[in-house]
Amino acid sequence: MTEHDHDHDHDHDRTVAPMVDEITDFEVLEIALRELCIEKGIFSAEEHRLMTEFAEQIGPTPAAHLVAKAWLDPKFKELALAEPMTASKEVGVDWLHPTGWGTPSDFTAFQILADTPTVHNVIVCALCSCYPRPILGNSPEWYRTPNYRRRLVRWPRQVLAEFGLYLSDEITVHVQDSNQKHRFMVMPMRPEGTDDWTEDQLVEILTRDCLIGVALPKAGVTTNMITDTRPAIHPGNAG
Amino acid sequence: MSTAAERAAQLDLVTRLKSSFPELPNAPTPDMLDHERITAYLKPVHDVGGEPDAPMKYENKQYELWEHMTYVICEVLGWRGIWLSEERRRMGNVDVGRAEYLGLPYYGRWLLAVARILVEKHHIGLTELSERMAEVQERYAGGLEGKTLEAQPKSEGDGSQVKRNNHAEEADGKGDPQCYAGQAATAKFKVGDPVVVRELPVIFYTRTPEYVRGATGEIEAVAYESPAAEDETWDRPARPEWFYIVKFNMSELWYGYTGTANDIISTEIPEHWLQAAK
Repeated sequence: MTEHDHDHDHDHDRTVAPMVDEITDFEVLEIALRELCIEKGIFSAEEHRLMTEFAEQIGPTPAAHLVAKAWLDPKFKELALAEPMTASKEVGVDWLHPTGWGTPSDFTAFQILADTPTVHNVIVCALCSCYPRPILGNSPEWYRTPNYRRRLVRWPRQVLAEFGLYLSDEITVHVQDSNQKHRFMVMPMRPEGTDDWTEDQLVEILTRDCLIGVALPKAGVTTNMITDTRPAIHPGNAG
Repeated sequence: MSTAAERAAQLDLVTRLKSSFPELPNAPTPDMLDHERITAYLKPVHDVGGEPDAPMKYENKQYELWEHMTYVICEVLGWRGIWLSEERRRMGNVDVGRAEYLGLPYYGRWLLAVARILVEKHHIGLTELSERMAEVQERYAGGLEGKTLEAQPKSEGDGSQVKRNNHAEEADGKGDPQCYAGQAATAKFKVGDPVVVRELPVIFYTRTPEYVRGATGEIEAVAYESPAAEDETWDRPARPEWFYIVKFNMSELWYGYTGTANDIISTEIPEHWLQAAK
């Protein structure tokens, strides 16, 4: 740092209030509610801890493995489409976990939508943010925005184009608005140039966006289309 | 402690928060409102599908600790029989009203739903909640300063007297909606049947989107049995009915649809919302 920069910083010290790392309104409310629940026995600290641990380990990896396995094994693909929750167990996901009857918010009605050469599937929940959390993790922030939910059900081709996905008129767009108890994910078609690939190699290109249906897997593309990420004020371990 | 000027400034701020038609006064007389506007005001605010909007920049977001903890507390309350997910979805996504629905962060609404259910079902008094919030604020007065964000319950309650629903017992080992299997009347529709979505009057809650009401579609799948969301959301006894995945041709569904003639949208609808298409 030069002498000049140093002086400049001091100018600011005189005009800007000192930074206080304030606790936010929602943090106050969440802590107050959790304390009262535990004190009243509404739930135990142990139950809260168990659910926290469960929620911290969910993510898109099992879903990517499920699709990669289906690409490699036609019998498994048949099972995945006919009995998706049975197939989920093969990639380590038991939809009845962690309560014995599933995660309350996600229900236990799962269906996989397979793309074909003439049909492209994409999912949305126009009412909230229904999403196959147990196998795909938490939904991305943009998936929950009123903007995506308002527009995908009416202008799907325009929205997909904003994700860099341009579909020809020969391909039918099938939008699945999952608004009740079913949860859906997309099984895209295996792309060219992946003939001798192993399951782990295929998993690399099966990004979360491909399983939502806003992107197509491509040899060499291993990241989601949307990579800009707003930082949290006080980050936790999820997401 | 706030000053009179600060209180006035906050009121000014709230006054600028608009959630009504600008051409109408607040609390209009009945003659000023037509059916369309009454329907718009009564529309469950989560039902945004098809509302015009301009493109925006889509972003990911890192999780705040409180957001993650809010998700967890919601799931634990479901697990321990304090609410059904359908109660949570109504309280956090609809009961909050238009201004809060559009104005607050996603998990802010989830958290308000937690407070709402605990207060409304008499598990927590609102006075004790306010006092505890003040206490937590005081604990962190002057900022975090190296302290961690943590709950410090003063004790662990025995919970045997807490009033709970029976959902965990009913769904254990089966899941939901599987726990309702075999309870509905015979399914009225089969795959391929043409159906019209009824235009039932809506107040308070529904999960049948406005954009398909009155439209003709085709049964794509006979999905499962479950109580209708409108009943399940109040956790009252209701006979399960069949749910269907119904598909709609988008060029017929949407006026001025800009895609191809073959594009389709599917959504899930309970039987009482459907009638056979003529």
